[in-house]
Amino acid sequence: MKTIKTILTITLFIFFSACDGFLDVSPQGELTQEAFPTNPEDALQATNAVYSSLRDWHYHSGGFPILDFMSDDALKGSSPNDGSSTVGPYEDFTHSPTQDGLDRWWNVLYQGIRRANIVTESIPSITMDEGLKTRYIAEVSFLRGLFYFDLVRAFGEVPLVTTSEPDLKIPKSPVEDIYEVIIEDLEFAATNLPVKSEYGTNDLGRATSGAANALLARMYLYRSDFENAETYALAVINSIEYEYDLEPVFTDANGQNGEHGVESVFEIGAAATGGAGGNQYANTQGVRGTPNRGWGFNRPTISLRDAFETDDPREEGTIIELGDVIDGITIQGDSQTPDQTKDGMGNVIEIESYNRKVWIPGTSTETQFGHNRRLIRYADVLLMAAEALNENDKQGMALIHLNKVRERAREGNATILPDIVEMDKDLLRDIIFQERRVELALEGHRFWDLVRTGRASDVLGPLGFIEGKHEFLPIPQSEIDLSQGSLIQNSNWN
Amino acid sequence: MRSVIQFSAKSELKKRNLFSAWTAVIMSLVFAGFLSTSALAQTQVTGTVYDAETQETLPGVNIRIKNTNNGTATDGEGLFSLNLDSTRATLVFTYIGYITKEVEVIAGTTNISVMLSPAINELEGMIVIGYGAVRKRDITGSVGQISSKEIGKVTSLNAEQSLQGKVSGVQITTTSGAPGAGSAVRIRGVGTFNNSSPIYVVDGVILDDISFLNPADIQSMEVLKDASATAIYGSRGANGVVLVQTKSGSSALDKPMVSYSSEIGIQQLEKQIDLLNGREFAIISNEIRPGSYNNVDAVPNTDWQNLIFDAAPIQNHQISVSGSSERGDYYVSLGYFQQSGIIEGSNFERITLKLNNTYRLNSNFKFGNNITIAPYNQQVAPNATFAVYRAQPLLEPFYEDGSFGVVYNVGNPLADIEYTDNYNSGIRVVGNVFAEALISNSLILKTSFGTDAALNRAENFTNAFTVFNPDGTASQQNNKFNDLFKAEGVNYTWLWENTANYIQDFDKNQINAVVGLTLQQTRSELLRLSGQNVIREGEDFRYIRPGYIIDEANNINTLNSIFNGVDANQYYNLVSYLGRVVYSYDNKYLATVTFRADGSSKFAKGNRWGYFPSLALGWNIDRESFMESVELIDNLKLRASYGILGNEKINYLGRFSTINSGLFSVFGNPDAIFNAATYGVSGNSNLKWETTTQTDVGMEIGVLEERLLIELDYYNRLTEDILVPLSTPGHLGNGQGQRTLFNAATVKNTGFEFSIDWRDNVGQLGYGVNVVGNTIYNEIQSIGGNSGVDSLLIGGFLANGQSVTQSKKGSSIGAFYGYVTDGIFQNQQELDDYPSLSQAGVGDLRFVDTNGDGQLNGDDRTTIGSPIPDFVYGFSFDLNYRSWDMSVGFQGQYGNEIFNGKNVVRPDPYNFEQHVFDRWTGEGTSNTEPRPSFGGYNFLPSDRFIEDGSYLRLRSLIIGYSLPPRFLERLGMSGARIYVKGNNLLTWTKYSGYTPEIGSGNVIANGIDAGIYPIPRMILAGFNTTF
Repeated sequence: MKTIKTILTITLFIFFSACDGFLDVSPQGELTQEAFPTNPEDALQATNAVYSSLRDWHYHSGGFPILDFMSDDALKGSSPNDGSSTVGPYEDFTHSPTQDGLDRWWNVLYQGIRRANIVTESIPSITMDEGLKTRYIAEVSFLRGLFYFDLVRAFGEVPLVTTSEPDLKIPKSPVEDIYEVIIEDLEFAATNLPVKSEYGTNDLGRATSGAANALLARMYLYRSDFENAETYALAVINSIEYEYDLEPVFTDANGQNGEHGVESVFEIGAAATGGAGGNQYANTQGVRGTPNRGWGFNRPTISLRDAFETDDPREEGTIIELGDVIDGITIQGDSQTPDQTKDGMGNVIEIESYNRKVWIPGTSTETQFGHNRRLIRYADVLLMAAEALNENDKQGMALIHLNKVRERAREGNATILPDIVEMDKDLLRDIIFQERRVELALEGHRFWDLVRTGRASDVLGPLGFIEGKHEFLPIPQSEIDLSQGSLIQNSNWN
Repeated sequence: MRSVIQFSAKSELKKRNLFSAWTAVIMSLVFAGFLSTSALAQTQVTGTVYDAETQETLPGVNIRIKNTNNGTATDGEGLFSLNLDSTRATLVFTYIGYITKEVEVIAGTTNISVMLSPAINELEGMIVIGYGAVRKRDITGSVGQISSKEIGKVTSLNAEQSLQGKVSGVQITTTSGAPGAGSAVRIRGVGTFNNSSPIYVVDGVILDDISFLNPADIQSMEVLKDASATAIYGSRGANGVVLVQTKSGSSALDKPMVSYSSEIGIQQLEKQIDLLNGREFAIISNEIRPGSYNNVDAVPNTDWQNLIFDAAPIQNHQISVSGSSERGDYYVSLGYFQQSGIIEGSNFERITLKLNNTYRLNSNFKFGNNITIAPYNQQVAPNATFAVYRAQPLLEPFYEDGSFGVVYNVGNPLADIEYTDNYNSGIRVVGNVFAEALISNSLILKTSFGTDAALNRAENFTNAFTVFNPDGTASQQNNKFNDLFKAEGVNYTWLWENTANYIQDFDKNQINAVVGLTLQQTRSELLRLSGQNVIREGEDFRYIRPGYIIDEANNINTLNSIFNGVDANQYYNLVSYLGRVVYSYDNKYLATVTFRADGSSKFAKGNRWGYFPSLALGWNIDRESFMESVELIDNLKLRASYGILGNEKINYLGRFSTINSGLFSVFGNPDAIFNAATYGVSGNSNLKWETTTQTDVGMEIGVLEERLLIELDYYNRLTEDILVPLSTPGHLGNGQGQRTLFNAATVKNTGFEFSIDWRDNVGQLGYGVNVVGNTIYNEIQSIGGNSGVDSLLIGGFLANGQSVTQSKKGSSIGAFYGYVTDGIFQNQQELDDYPSLSQAGVGDLRFVDTNGDGQLNGDDRTTIGSPIPDFVYGFSFDLNYRSWDMSVGFQGQYGNEIFNGKNVVRPDPYNFEQHVFDRWTGEGTSNTEPRPSFGGYNFLPSDRFIEDGSYLRLRSLIIGYSLPPRFLERLGMSGARIYVKGNNLLTWTKYSGYTPEIGSGNVIANGIDAGIYPIPRMILAGFNTTF
């Protein structure tokens, strides 16, 4: 009996003493949030992760450049059936709160914001080079500003999240509050980020102070704050250390030769080596059929073709027509897609053609993943400056920047694209706006430009645009549902 | 207080049976040893024990000298001899099923005769209920039991198949007819969105499955259903518990028993699916795409089903030796099971080795082991069922030169089988060593250390091959480089259980109690590699080596992918405290109180411990004096139980917020890829136990001298805090489609169960009838919803990405989801009059605008069926007449639906089911079968693909003949029987597919026929003998 009692006592002792430690089981092969980021390498990786969201398929407007579909520059494209019910409705403004792509875009923008918040929250306590620390925080501040700018101009009022662990329910914040955060972020970035030349070759593509200033200029332009727009655009243009200029050849401005070149203010680095470093942005728009470079979405409209002045080389630099020979490769196109589509009256309403700006030399789909999407290029900054200066009654200065863009466009051919000399503010406004359209076509600006300048209902009305409704996208229905009443749908979308 | 043994004769009767499992044997052994060495012949008493009614001698009766631990047992002739310490003694005779008798003897008396009367009304049989055994009479819970006799009736590698249609409340659904496939076992409905399978306890070792166990080694299986029975398993009891006792040494002393049994049979496809033949397909194709075939009478016709399915052998053999000696008993067996698939290239074989030993050191202490070692080897065929369903019948399997013919869009299934070699193999070692000490006559201490070790390996190899188009170009079905995939998984669990059982009677109060402490650790590791282009295709070269493949881009690919990590469901520690008291007053009033506390490493500190109590009450009404006059009723018990149970079969990572380190960023000119990492999806550190509250009210009746036994139960299981992965709002930044686990859902299961057993004989004809059944009502009462998370779970994804189940409040778990059809648009007017999807045309299905908003869109999809049956039942008959025996078992279910998923996925022109011939061809021609199309609109998930899944199946039919004793004697055998057996001989169902039995381990993707491997019909012949 005694032995038994001893055994029992020992057993009980082992049990009670072992339990707590015994029940602590750590995840295997997985780092937890308590253990990351805690060192300088972690800090770098956490910063890099924010950039990673920019290559997310969902970032590019829900997988497809739907923002150009919603303009007079582009149609859905691809073969007639492909995506007809998912992204087709954006073409004629019949999209709904459950439309494909909306929820994905919303989610990836907040994912980027969360990743930025993780950096700003956790890096300060890491023991590391203070200069790098500040740079990382400034980089992610720029990116957070970029993501919020995307959100606020697309959806208007949205939940404002500045922590990595927000509540499950957050109501929408006023647009002003969101812009306040964007300005704060971008100012911090502009002050603390290096200029492009200060980065090593390996770090090209990281946010720069030039990019932050350019984005501030764009933001103020959207808010019709032309004073500030002028200030920040000129800060980019007049800075000696930024060293921005236009590529001599228009197609290099978006093409492979111009990657991280003089015209690039901010671009999304992407490598052609398969999925890990690739970006599907160009693949979704790449030539469909022969050569098979992609899905062929975002098809240039006839209206866009008509917008170019006679012999403007930018037309060829923007639109790939069937039969074109690019880098020695003949574009034959897609057998399932009619070369021309006619309406009931026999008028051609769609021509099989593709976006030249995402072209990457090669014949496979894989290289297409290496296209570096330019989010801000110098030509845009010049046109922003021109627009702001004109609004601020500085037509003379405006013309300098405008004509710089036209000069590059003519690529030495003096017979085309004459310099603009118009000094009338209203007329010049239209000219600058027209120049934006042809210079920046299919780069995702047109819809926003039409909305911010109040031209949307005139231009897009015939396509289905309804004033007071389509200025903003609807909040994704899935988010409305998940919010259990804390998110209210945008007006006229219910 | 006195021990039972020192108590009255009546009480001793109870006690003796409680301990009869081993104490009696020990005592008899001790005395057998004593006898052989003793010379004190004067103190000897000898005699014979008889059945008081039949006058037959009784072997194995326990005899003990009262107030001592000395005793013996009768031999095979009912004889005993015993040495007394004194001149006078009282001998206590006990025998299961008989009333205990005390006889006073005087030393030296020989040839006394002792008559034992059968205890017809005593129901003294013991039932193992987990951490102990109780008298059947004292049970307050709902427990179903089957014996070894039932277990062989269906030939399967899985013993659980024997439960199908035999135990009420249990639903067994085979997940596939492929050799080696498992089954989905559900006890009393579907209790959770997570793993809803019961646990198995094999000789005390807690396991997730019993596929390693040779059914022939099983002595009995008990299914614990209600809270009273399963609460002792606490956090693992919510989905029921299946207790398995394996065989142990025979009680016959010094006489080893050798059993050999063997059966061999053939399996075949039960029925074919009615598909179009070549000509019919050409006719339909011409309607869809005019001019496809110029002469429909000249097209070839290939019956792909005929080419793939073939009769296949099955065999099952085992030999066992068991026996008992003074120092212990043993059961050793070797089994071999082999099943070929009815699709070529599928096979399963398993060897089982069973070692059950008990060693007795002395009358108070024993130890032993129960060990199973089971290596297996499985060959898995490619999914040919789905391929033959889709393959166009006018394509020929081979070209004239004998090479494989192209099968557009599907791939030639014969080529797939030919060029694919998929093997799974492994070994499972499950067992325990235990020691048991009898501290006093009331107290037993037991410690058991068990392990479950499994090594599983997979090796998939695909040759480099090309199936050519008729014009000589390569078709889509080709593989440029051979592929090799290897996986290895190790699971290792140890379980240390320490229990103390206390059994004591105090006057009319009887107590059977147990307390225990257990520790468990489960670990796993997985390693998966895939590579390409091994240097030769033979089996000797199935190893992944660096540098084999150089692709077009001049990249050297050593490995395509590597994964190394743990199985997140198999990595945890568990600590438990358990206790149970079974109390009986005067055999009339019963109470069982059970408690278990489980601490699991799967939960964070504050939520780590789960407490699982249960209380049950019982009333043996027949024991009341007022029932004495009711002669019809022999046994009448009312019982009720209530308890809280848990389910801890969840991923251990759910509570952690882990880091996503698989990200990359690209910088620099030229582009260079850099590592990136950030927080992954937010974990939920507040995760806690799922809890199931179960109420059970039951009644047991035995009438007409126990010939008719009826058991009725009502159950109500409410599972709360079910862990479900739910979408979180986008602003949390988890990213699109990412989900977080929440304790959010509540599910209710209620139903009635019955079991009716009639057993009698008419002269030499003995017969029995058994009917079992249960109803299931399953309803989701909530899923998330008010906390900013999702309120539904989507599942049942088909090969084209369409989901066909949606579980939400008010529906059943895994309810089917889609459009409701209402005939066919007969003309343009109808098309214009009703809301429709833009793709709809005249002759297409008309979907109902279920929400009545005047528009037809995705919001009009609704619940269109449930994979959970309303009623599950089985009935069986058995007969024996002289040397002949026969048994027939039926089993079925009613009220469930099947989603014919294989008919829905149509991105390309595939073959059709025959009903397409009833197509709409103009106004008024059909209102059910739309105009034919190769896919698209009419194949959107809708109730058109919902079929009635009810069925009744002739599960087993066995006819046996036992050889006459005089013949056996000549062969030196003690028993021999030959038999023929049929399994799944006939199925009555409206379902159009191969089998209406479509199970899935995933409860939100259940009942979807995506091309299931047919469950074969089997006909076997066998014999078993004992020496």
